[in-house]
Amino acid sequence: MFNVNRQMLTRGALAAAVAIPATLIAGFALAQVEGQPTPGGLGLPNMVTPVGLGTQQFYNMVLMPIISFIALFVLGLLIYVSYRFNEQRNPIPSKLTHNTPLEIVWTLIPVLILLFISVPSLRLLAEQVEVPEASVTIKVTGNQWYWSYKYPEDQGGGFGFDQMLKPESELQPGDLRLLSVDNEAVVPVNEVIAVHITSNDVIHAFGVPSFGVRMDAIPGRLNQTWFKIEKEGVYYGQCFFICGKDHAYMPIVIRAVSREKYNEWLAQAKQKFASADSRVRVAAESH
Amino acid sequence: MASSTMAGAHDHPRGLRRFLFSTNHKDIGTLYIILGSIGGVIGFLLSLGMRLELAYPGVQIFPGLAEALQGADPSMALDAGKNLYNVFITVHGVLMIFFMAMPILIGGFGNWFVPIMIGAPDMAFPRLNNISFWLLFASLVLAVISMFVEGAPGMKGFGGGWTFYPPLSSNTGSPGPAMDFVILALHLAGASSILGAINFITTIFNMRAPGMTLHKMPLFVWSMLVTAFLLLLVLPVLAGCVTMLLTDRNFGTMFYDPAGGGDPLLFQHLLWFFGHPEVYIVILPGFGIISQIVSTFSKKPVFGYLGMAYAMVSIGVLGSIVWAHHMYTVGMSLNAQRYFTLATMVIAVPTGIKIFSWIATMWGGSISFRAPMVWAIGFIFVFTMGGITGVVLANASADKQFHEGYYVVAHFHYTLSLGAVFALYAGFYYWFPKMTGYMYSETLAKANFWLLFIGVNVVFFPQHFLGLGGMPRRYIDYPDAYALWNLVSSSGMIFVTLSLIVWFYAIIDAFMKKRLAGANPWGVGATTLEWTLSSPPPFHQFQVLPRITGASR
Amino acid sequence: MNAPAPRSRKRPQMIAAALVVGTAAMLGLSFASAPLYRAFCAATGFGGTPRTDLAGAPSPGERVLTVRFDANVARDLPWRFEPEVAKISLRTGETKTVYYKVANLSDRETSGQAAYNVTPGQAGAFFVKVACFCFEEKRLGPHEAEEWPVVFYLDPALEREEGMRGVREITLSYTFFAIKDSTAAKTSETAIAKPKG
Repeated sequence: MFNVNRQMLTRGALAAAVAIPATLIAGFALAQVEGQPTPGGLGLPNMVTPVGLGTQQFYNMVLMPIISFIALFVLGLLIYVSYRFNEQRNPIPSKLTHNTPLEIVWTLIPVLILLFISVPSLRLLAEQVEVPEASVTIKVTGNQWYWSYKYPEDQGGGFGFDQMLKPESELQPGDLRLLSVDNEAVVPVNEVIAVHITSNDVIHAFGVPSFGVRMDAIPGRLNQTWFKIEKEGVYYGQCFFICGKDHAYMPIVIRAVSREKYNEWLAQAKQKFASADSRVRVAAESH
Repeated sequence: MASSTMAGAHDHPRGLRRFLFSTNHKDIGTLYIILGSIGGVIGFLLSLGMRLELAYPGVQIFPGLAEALQGADPSMALDAGKNLYNVFITVHGVLMIFFMAMPILIGGFGNWFVPIMIGAPDMAFPRLNNISFWLLFASLVLAVISMFVEGAPGMKGFGGGWTFYPPLSSNTGSPGPAMDFVILALHLAGASSILGAINFITTIFNMRAPGMTLHKMPLFVWSMLVTAFLLLLVLPVLAGCVTMLLTDRNFGTMFYDPAGGGDPLLFQHLLWFFGHPEVYIVILPGFGIISQIVSTFSKKPVFGYLGMAYAMVSIGVLGSIVWAHHMYTVGMSLNAQRYFTLATMVIAVPTGIKIFSWIATMWGGSISFRAPMVWAIGFIFVFTMGGITGVVLANASADKQFHEGYYVVAHFHYTLSLGAVFALYAGFYYWFPKMTGYMYSETLAKANFWLLFIGVNVVFFPQHFLGLGGMPRRYIDYPDAYALWNLVSSSGMIFVTLSLIVWFYAIIDAFMKKRLAGANPWGVGATTLEWTLSSPPPFHQFQVLPRITGASR
Repeated sequence: MNAPAPRSRKRPQMIAAALVVGTAAMLGLSFASAPLYRAFCAATGFGGTPRTDLAGAPSPGERVLTVRFDANVARDLPWRFEPEVAKISLRTGETKTVYYKVANLSDRETSGQAAYNVTPGQAGAFFVKVACFCFEEKRLGPHEAEEWPVVFYLDPALEREEGMRGVREITLSYTFFAIKDSTAAKTSETAIAKPKG
């Protein structure tokens, strides 16, 4: 009777342990909008770039199962020894203090697991670091507390603009508090975009979670990263290095559109931003 | 031996003199534990402020706090509040590392039990020991003062994170003197720890009782030896690193200023050359404590003693050559990132050896679940949790998704806020009867454990989800999508707060009820030398040096 | 280790002295790290530091890469500074001269010094500068404009480097910073600039 109850309890608990996260994940997956954080999300965002998808695969298929297994294994062992070797059950302790084969095993198996992890890890790393031939290069500069973008002349650009947080009072329906900005940076979909990153004052970091991209903006130094967005949409990012009081208030918005729309935008943007070359230079000239 | 022969010469000082001018390792240890508790409580209150703020989206409490604490002008309160939040995260980090974990684990338990465990009458340099402590006290005062002087223009306190990266910490970001106060605090804390480390190494090398060979030393002493060497290796680098920042700020040098041919990345390399071993400095004494406790309450010698000792040595060595895994996003070359990825992952091997050896020590044992053992088992689990997310973050490729986000916050709080703190509580409840002579209430100690265990897991586990979702760290406000898990995380602070109250109550209760503990409250499993002495031990122990025979641990 | 013989009173001092020496050595090393780090970067190209070789290019190689040019000016320097061309194609081992256009936009004489790096970082070891305006401080009179050359080549050794195989484009970046005046002037300036509240 007691045993049956316990069995049922265990089974029930197991079922709940599987069912609850599954329904949660399913529920949240439905609510997920690409490019922005999911309310109550449990996992990585939906990735839209090859590097992002690689990261997602690496984490969800390799790292996550392995670390979950290790955690549960250690937890299981702890529960087992606590139950099997408590002083009521096992009043006479053994004197076992050495077991060389066992010690070799628990050294070698972790080494093998790490080797197994390192193969996809290093492959993904090379993909992140090595920038393929890019059709658009944008230059992103961090400032206290906004981002500036420049589109180079040789690719139909030749203008720059600042991207500032939209204050709460100006939010339109569909805008996101702390994420929406005044000037979105537009890039063509399905093309390799190289991003050059530097800073004008302190260190910032350019990060867009759904691209799998995070790169520091350091004054006096140019860094680069890249992405190829495989889906049209609006993608939000934020500053990922503490940069002073408004660190939380300098979001990044990248809009991916078709090549034709991108060309249209380029033409418009060129006129719109032609005069406002850079507020920095204006400030410098006046002083 | 210097102090043992002189021991009879000075009396047992009393009152203020006893503690102010103390050269007794046990009194100094007690002072360290008190200082660490004060630092820890302040650090906890800071984190309580942060979690209250983050419970809901929007900025709620910090503008008011800035007005109340720093006397900010109401018209500037919002900006002052944002700045104060950053000051809180910075000081929280500094306090918890330098003024909570290190003083209690190294200064407190180290001073108390290293001499006793090796059968020595005191530390090798008792007066140096006193200086170490008071330097740290001065340092704590400077660190707290820094919160109330100008940092960023028009703002009070330094709010650039405990890593102090320039240019935010140089004149570009924080021209005011707050950062100078922080640097001086670090200098004093560093000097204190260096003197302490010299004292520990000399004591361990030179003052072991006859027969106490290095390979018979208890693992806690081994852990302190490795820790002391790490301190000597890396603290001078921190000192040099922040001194150059100080001269950059005040004397026109350009070590870290790209305008003068300097490089802000040099600071990051130096800081992490210190900073990464520093996390092992905090956790290694914890490893030592857990080894003692697991062995005591399993009534078995530690499984694989030599492997355990040399695992700590190798963690110390490996921990010193992996620093740039904190810098995967600064634009390092592919090969550098590959090296740091592989080297970092290797640390999982000795760490795994330790976890499995603790479990193997319990295997076949006769485990009594007294409070310290419950804390120790809790430690093994939460530290494993922190360790495995560390394996994730070791990968430069995966780190690009998690860097400077909440996944990292969850990771290092699992290893430190849970790991180091659980080890610290385990040690506290293990040695409290020895240090005071009184037994605490077992029920209160276990209530303390369960409240803290539930609390910190509720606080930090959801932060993995926030990090996976992409929430950056050091944010006073966040997009609304992160609201749910932030609220859950903040609600865990209720349990943490209760656990602290229970902890204080347990101490008061123990001193009020005065249940005598006796020399050895833990029974046959407690075989190290401290349990051969009365509780509390005599002011000067081992007037006649003990002679160690047979196996020890 | 197992000799329980009475130890001399000198020994703890000896150990402590050795430890103090070790500590002092680490402290010295941390200060020495500033020049050492610079030398290390210059020698190995670590962190994307271009190499300097005044001798000129060795024999030409096979691969053709794109080199892109980037220019930045710090806020406190009233200069316009940009490359004449956005990018060029270059065969390894081929020496090339590229000009940067620079103009002082203010009514006073100003001077600046450039910080520079190449990205990706692993390209630093193979990006060799023969001559560069960035080697020295630069001074421009009021509204003066100039063209400054940088002469460089890509070391053909990069073709044998595994980490360079995937690199098709290298970017050379400069940031001009104003040369700050003497220490005293600077500290007094910040002291004055501090708001009172």
